[in-house]
Amino acid sequence: MKKSKILIIFGVIFVLGLIVYFPGRKAARSHVNYITAVDDHPLSCTSCHVYTSQNKWVSKMVNEDYYSPFNMVVSNDGSRLYVIAQDINELMVVDTENENVLNKINVGVHPHSVILNKSGKIAYVSNEWSDNVSVIDLVSSKVIDTLKTGNGPAGLALSSNEQFLYVVNVFGSDLSVIDLSTKEEIKRLTTGNNPTGTALSPDGKVLYVTSRRANMVPYGEPLISDLTIINDSTKTVAKYLGIESAYMMENVAFTPSGDLAMTTLIRPKNLITSIQVERGWMMNHGIAIIEQKEEGRVVQLLLDEPNAYYSDPFDIVISPDGKKAFVSSSGVDYISVISIDSIRTILAESSPKMLKSFSNNLGISSRFVIKRISTGANPKGLTLSPDGKRLYVAEQLEDKIAVINTESLETIGSINLGGPLRITVARQGRRLFNNAGHTFQNQYACYTCHPDNHEDGLVYNMAGKDMGRNVTNTQSLREIGGTAPFKWNGKNQSVYKQDGMRFSAILTRTEPFNHDDLDALVAYIVTGIKHPPNLMYNPDGELTESQIRGKEIYNRSVDNLGIAIPENNRCITCHPPPLYTDLKMADVSTLSDTDDPILFDTPHLHNIFSSAPYLHDGRAETLEEIWTIYGEDDKHGHVNDLTKMQLNDLIDYLKSLRSPLYDDDKSEVQHGTYIKSN
Amino acid sequence: MENKGLRKYSKIVAIAVIILVAASFGFKITGEHSLDSNSNPIIEKSKAENNDTSIEKTFDINNVLNEKSSMPIYGNWRNFTSKNGLPGDKAYCVRIDGERVLVGTHEGLAVYENEKWRTYTTKDGLAHNGVLAIDVSEQTGDVWLGTMGGLTRWSTGKFENFTQMNSGMPNDLIYSVICDGKKVWVATGGGAGQYDTHTKRWEIFTEQNAPMHEPWTYGVCSGDGKIFIAAWGGGVVEYTKKTKQFRDYIDPDGNMEIDLFPDDGVVHDITTGVSWADDYLWVATYFGLSRYDGVHWKGYFDHDSGLASNFINFVKAEGSVAFMCTDKGLSSTDGNNWITYTKNDTNKNGKAIITEGTKKTELAMTPSISHNFVIGVDVKDDVIWVATSKGVSRGELLK
Amino acid sequence: MHKKRSNTVFLIIMTISFSVVFFLSCKESSNEGMIVFTQVEGDIQKINYITGNSWRYIPNSRIVALNSNKSGEKIKVLTEDYFSACSPDISYDGKFMLFAAQKKQNDIWQIWEMNLENLKIRQITSSSEDCFNPSYLPGKRMVFSKFTTIDNVKEGYALFTSNLDGSEINQITFNPHAYFASTVLQDGRILTISRQLFPEQKDGMFMVMRPDGTKQELFYKGLKGSEIHSRGWETNDGKVFFIETDNKDKEGGDIISVNYNRPLHSRVNLSSGIEGDFYAVSPIQAGSLLVSYRSSDNDRYALYEFDEVNKTLGKVIYKDENYNILEAVVIKKKERPRKLPSDLNMSVNTGLLLCQDINFTDVQSVEDTSSISKAVRIEVMGIDTSLGIVDVEKDGSFYLKVLADTPFRIQTISEDGQVVNGPGSWIYLRPNERRGCVGCHEDHEQVPYNRQPLSVRKEPIILPKQLNKVHKEKDS
Repeated sequence: MKKSKILIIFGVIFVLGLIVYFPGRKAARSHVNYITAVDDHPLSCTSCHVYTSQNKWVSKMVNEDYYSPFNMVVSNDGSRLYVIAQDINELMVVDTENENVLNKINVGVHPHSVILNKSGKIAYVSNEWSDNVSVIDLVSSKVIDTLKTGNGPAGLALSSNEQFLYVVNVFGSDLSVIDLSTKEEIKRLTTGNNPTGTALSPDGKVLYVTSRRANMVPYGEPLISDLTIINDSTKTVAKYLGIESAYMMENVAFTPSGDLAMTTLIRPKNLITSIQVERGWMMNHGIAIIEQKEEGRVVQLLLDEPNAYYSDPFDIVISPDGKKAFVSSSGVDYISVISIDSIRTILAESSPKMLKSFSNNLGISSRFVIKRISTGANPKGLTLSPDGKRLYVAEQLEDKIAVINTESLETIGSINLGGPLRITVARQGRRLFNNAGHTFQNQYACYTCHPDNHEDGLVYNMAGKDMGRNVTNTQSLREIGGTAPFKWNGKNQSVYKQDGMRFSAILTRTEPFNHDDLDALVAYIVTGIKHPPNLMYNPDGELTESQIRGKEIYNRSVDNLGIAIPENNRCITCHPPPLYTDLKMADVSTLSDTDDPILFDTPHLHNIFSSAPYLHDGRAETLEEIWTIYGEDDKHGHVNDLTKMQLNDLIDYLKSLRSPLYDDDKSEVQHGTYIKSN
Repeated sequence: MENKGLRKYSKIVAIAVIILVAASFGFKITGEHSLDSNSNPIIEKSKAENNDTSIEKTFDINNVLNEKSSMPIYGNWRNFTSKNGLPGDKAYCVRIDGERVLVGTHEGLAVYENEKWRTYTTKDGLAHNGVLAIDVSEQTGDVWLGTMGGLTRWSTGKFENFTQMNSGMPNDLIYSVICDGKKVWVATGGGAGQYDTHTKRWEIFTEQNAPMHEPWTYGVCSGDGKIFIAAWGGGVVEYTKKTKQFRDYIDPDGNMEIDLFPDDGVVHDITTGVSWADDYLWVATYFGLSRYDGVHWKGYFDHDSGLASNFINFVKAEGSVAFMCTDKGLSSTDGNNWITYTKNDTNKNGKAIITEGTKKTELAMTPSISHNFVIGVDVKDDVIWVATSKGVSRGELLK
Repeated sequence: MHKKRSNTVFLIIMTISFSVVFFLSCKESSNEGMIVFTQVEGDIQKINYITGNSWRYIPNSRIVALNSNKSGEKIKVLTEDYFSACSPDISYDGKFMLFAAQKKQNDIWQIWEMNLENLKIRQITSSSEDCFNPSYLPGKRMVFSKFTTIDNVKEGYALFTSNLDGSEINQITFNPHAYFASTVLQDGRILTISRQLFPEQKDGMFMVMRPDGTKQELFYKGLKGSEIHSRGWETNDGKVFFIETDNKDKEGGDIISVNYNRPLHSRVNLSSGIEGDFYAVSPIQAGSLLVSYRSSDNDRYALYEFDEVNKTLGKVIYKDENYNILEAVVIKKKERPRKLPSDLNMSVNTGLLLCQDINFTDVQSVEDTSSISKAVRIEVMGIDTSLGIVDVEKDGSFYLKVLADTPFRIQTISEDGQVVNGPGSWIYLRPNERRGCVGCHEDHEQVPYNRQPLSVRKEPIILPKQLNKVHKEKDS
C-alpha cells in the first residue's frame, strides 16, 4: 500500500515531467533557433543567460579581472620593466632578472602609455579615460603629480630639453604641450585623425605623431592618413605628411642614426568591392619608411605574404645597433623581425615606380623580414633592454611578458604578471575578437575594422549583392548588447546571427566559428565592450546651458512656430533614452540610388560624437551635415525651423550623450566587462 | 543744431578746397618729377611756386614731424598688382607673418616670401577664393582665413574648412577673424562666432543673445580680457571673457550721420572695425573714427583732424598708433598727430600729409601707395603692408 | 536482496562498458603508424601525363598495408579482389581510406572507401566514366578526377566533389584542362595538378580553388618543360612537398618543397645531390618524409625515410625485388582542414568578373617603357567563338556578367585594334561567383590598389550578348 503510493507519486511526477519536458524543450529549441539563426546550436541556456548576463552577481561569478598588459618601458639599467596593466589601471614594476612583479602603482582609468625621463627616476603614464597623466616617482613608487591633458591621452614623449611633455590625445585628435615647470598645458596642436603613437627624432629636432584614422573624405576619394611632424624648438606643426592608402598607424620609431623613421600601418581595400579575400583584396598590413633627409621618400612595404597575412601591426622598436626592427603583429600572435639593411638596399635599388608597386606587393616581405617569432595571445607593446639584447613583448590577452633573445631570435622566457589563471568565456571571446585566425589566411580580425572595439571610420562596399552597391559605414561595437537588431538593414536579430554563417560566407570567407567560439565571441561583444567616458562633452552628467536647450529641442513636440511635429518625426520618438534607439526600422530618406531599398535600423546615440562619419553610408562628415545638407526634406527629424543657434544647441546635446553606465552612480565598471547594479 | 551742422559742412568744404589746391600742386610737382625719377622717394627742395602758406611742402624727410612725435612715417613704397605676382588686383586684407606676408585677395590667398608670390585657391583646399580676413595663432602658428565662403584653418600646407553647413559656425561670410589663445573669433554676416580649438565647439552671438542691432558683424578684436565686436548698427559690443557678460557702446546721437555732441560716445552705430592696443580701443565707422580709453570716447573726423576720410573700411592699432584704411587713402594717428598717405589719381606718385595740430606738411612720395581705396593694413617693426582695391603696397619706415 | 541484485547489475554494466571502451581504443590504436602504399608488380608501364594512365591510375596495381612498428611482419594486401587499386587517401580521423580501383580489367575506375578497422570496403561512385585520385574534403565529402567532356567538344579530366555515399556529385572545374592528384590544404582549398589541353597543351601546374570550384588560381608552376609528378602534401610547418621531374621519359623525379606562404618563389630541391629518382613523397612527421625511391632505373622503387632537414635519404622501410612501391602514406589522425563556406547559388546562371586595370603591369615590368600601346578594350573568347568585345573604362577596369561554368579567355586590344596582351589562361565562374583580378597580365603577388573602379559604378556588361535578352525578359 505504502509502496504503491510512492510508486503513484513517482509516476505522477514522471508524467508531469514529461508533460513539461517535451513542449518546454520544443519552445527552447525554437527560441535558440531564432536567436542563433541556425537549427543546430546546442540548447545551452548558460551560453546566453549566464555568460552574457549583466547582472552584478552573475557577472562577478563568470568573469575575472585580467591585467591586459599594453605598453611598457625598461629602466636605464635594464633591471626593471614598467608595464601598463590597462584593465586594472595600474603600472606594474617587474624585476627582469627574477621575472617577478615587485610592485603595482595605481594610476588613472585605462592607462595607455608609459615613458621615463632621462635620469630614469620619473615615469609618466597617460590615462586615456581620465584625461590626465600620472607623474610617478620611481624611487618611492608614488604618484607625485597628475597633469591635465586633452581628450584621451595616449602616446607620450618628452621634449629634447625635458622641459615639456608631449601628450597625444587620441579622442581629441591633437597634441597637448605641457610645460613641466608650471605643469600647465601651454598649447594644443592639431594632429592627424585619431592619433596614438609618437617619437622624438634622435637629434631631438622633430616629433612624429601617428594617426590611426584617415582624413575624412567622401567615399571614392583616395585614403590619406597624416603623420604629424612637430618642430621641437618652436612647438609648432612643421608638416602634415600624408600617408596614402593607409591608416591605423599605431606607433612610430626612429633608427638610432636618425636616417629613417618607421611606422606600422594597415592598407585597407574599402574602395574595392569586397568580393574575395584571396590575393589581399580586403586588408594588407605593413610599415611605412620615411627618409629623414631633404626630399626624403615615403615608402610603404607590406609585411604580408601571398598566402599569409600578419594582421594588425601594433608596435615597432628598433635595435640600438640600427640593424633590426621588431613589429608586433597583434592579430596573428607573431613578432615580425625586419632587417633594416635589407630595407636600405630596397630603397637604394628601386625606382619610385618600383617602390609604389612594392606597397601593394605580397612578395616583397621575403626580402626584408628575417623571422616571424610566435608569441602568446595578442602581442601589443614592445620594448628593448638598453643593451638591445632582449626584446620584451606585452602579451595583452595572456597577462604575460614574453622575453626574446634579439640575436638568436628565440623566445627565452615568459614573465607571468599573475593575472587570473582561469580563461573565462568572455576572455576567450576577446581573444577571438582580436585574432585574425578566423579569417581566410588571417587577413584581418574583428579588431581590424573595429579598433578599440569601436569602428575604423571607413565606409566599405561589402557587396552583399553585385558590386559597387550598398556602401556602408562601419558601426561601433561598444555596448551594443541591448541594441538589436544589427546591421544597417536590421536583418540580424542577434550578435549570434551577425557573426554566424553568412558572416563567414561574406566576410571572413573561411570556416564559421564553432558553437563554443561563437558563444565566447558573443559573450565578449555583449558584455566586455564598454564606452569610454565622454569627458569632452559630458564629464560629470551636468549638462551645459546649451546642452539643456538642446535637450528641450530633442524632446520637443512643437516647432518654433508652435505647430505640432508629427510624433514619428521627433528626435525622442525614434531615439528614446536610455539607449537612444527605439530598436525599430525607419526611413529617413537617405537611401541613395546605389542602395537596395531598405529601411534603416535606428542606431543608438551613445558617444555619438566619436562615430563620424554619420548615416548608413557615411555621407555626413559631421553631425551638422546630417541636417544642414542631408536633412532638407525634414524626414530625419523636423529641423528646418531651427535657427543655427538652436541646431548648435541640439548638436551640443547629442554630443553630451554617453553610456548610461556613467549616469548610474551605483553601477560599477569591472575590467574586461561591465555590469549594471541591480 | 543747424548752425553747428552748417559750420561743420563749411569747414569740410574749406579743407576740401585747400587739399584740392595742394593736391594739384603736389601732382604738378611729382608729376613733372616722375618723368625722370626712379622708384625711390626724392628728397630735394621744391622748385614749385607756392602761394598757399598754410601747408608747407617738402621733399626732405627731416623737415617733417618734430622730434617728440611718436608717429612713424613710411615710404619707399613698392606696389604689387596682378601684373607682378598677385592673383588679382583687389586685395581685402594683409597680414605679416614672420618672414612672409599673407594677402587676402578676391582671387585667393597670396603669400609673399623670399621676394616671390605664391597663390592658394579653392583648388588647394581654401573654403572660398575671396579672402576677407587673416590672423595667425601665436600659439600654434596656424593661419586662420576668413573667406566669403567659410573659415579656413591653414596649418603648414593643410587646409581645414569650417562652414555653416559642416560646423557650428554662424555664417560663411566672414569679415574678420582673430586668434585669442585657444579661441578663434569670427565676425560674420550671421553674427559673431567663437570656436574653442580644444573642445572643437562653436558658440554663436547674435541679436538673440547679445546686445546687437542685427547679426551683421564687421570686426572683432581682443584686449584687456575682453572681446570687442564691431556690429553693424549696434556700435561696439563688448564681451568680458571672465564673466561671459556683454555690454554695448552705441552712438548717443543714434543713427544720425552727424555727430551732434562731440566725444559723447562712439561716433556712429554702423561700425566697420575695431582694434585694441596700448589700452586704447579704436573703432572705425563709415562716419569717422572713435577712440575709447575705457572711460572716455573721442571722435575724429576728416574735417577736424588729419583723417583722410570719414569712410573707414578697417582700423589696425599697433602700439600707440592706429592705422585707418579709408576710401581716400591710408591715415595713421597717435591721437594728436596724423599722417595720411594718398596717391595721385593720374599717376603712381602721391604724398604723405603730416598734420601736427594746425601745422600741415606734405611729403612727396614717388611712388605712393597702390590705390587710395584702402581696405587692409598691417605693420610690423619697420615695415608696413597696405591692401587696396588695386594691389598691395609695401612701405618702409623712414623716420 | 534487491540491493545486491542491483549492485551486480551495476557491476556487470560497468565491466562491459569499460571493456568495450578498452577494446575499441585498442582497435583504434592498432592502425596508427601503419603505412599503406600502392604496389605494382614488375616494371612500371610508360606513364602518360595527358591521360594519367599508369600515372594517376595504374593498371594491375594493389594497395597494401605495412605495419612499420612491427618490422619483419609481412605486408597485408588490402585490395585482394581488385584488378587494379591505387591512390590511397586517409581520412582525417585515420579510420578510413579512399582509393580508386577497377574490379576487373577494362572495368571503369571507381572510387571506394575502406574502413581501416574492419577492412570493409564500400563503393562510392558508380560512374560511366573513370573516376580516380580521390581525396577527403572536410564535411564528409570528397574531391576526385573524372573523365568528362568540356563544353561538349573538348575532352579532359575535371574535378568533381560528392558526399561520401556518392550522392550530390558536383563538377567544380570547367576549363579545357586535365585536373589530377588533388589534395586539400589546411586553409580548406583544393590543391591539384592542372594542365591546359586546348588550344595547345601546356605543362602541368599546381592550382588551388575552393571546394565549390570558385576562386581558382595558380599555386605553383615548375620550371619550363618540367612535370609535377606527384600530388602535393602540406605539412604542419607550412611546407608543401611533391615530386617534380624535368625528364618526362623518367618515371620519377626530385623531391621539391615550397612554402605555403609564398609557393611561387620558395622552391627547394631536396634531392638534388642524390643519385636515382623518387616516385612519390608524403609526410611522416615534422622533418621526416616517406618516399618511394630507387637508386637506378634498373631498380624497383622501394620505401625509404627521408630527412627533410639534412636532405638525406634515411633507412629503407620496405623493399620488394618484384614490386615497385608507389604512393605511400602513413595512417594517422591529422588536423582537419578548414571547411570553407560557399556563396554559390545554383539558381543563378551567371558570375561576375571585375578587373581593376587591364593595363596593369607587374613589378618586374613597371620600368619597361618600351611597353606596347595601351589597351582600351577586351575580347572575351569562348572555346570556339568570341563572346564579345567590350570597351574598358578610362581607368582600365571592366565589370562583366558572364555565363557560369563556361570557360573563356580574355585578350586586350589597343585603340587601333591590335592585340596588346593575351589571350590569357582559361577562366570560368561558378554560379553567383564574384571574382576580381588586378590586371590581365597579372603579377600573382600583387594586391589591388585601393581605388573604386569606374566600371562598378555601372551595371555589369552582360556576355554573351544573347544573355542580355534573357536577363531583360527575366526582369520584365
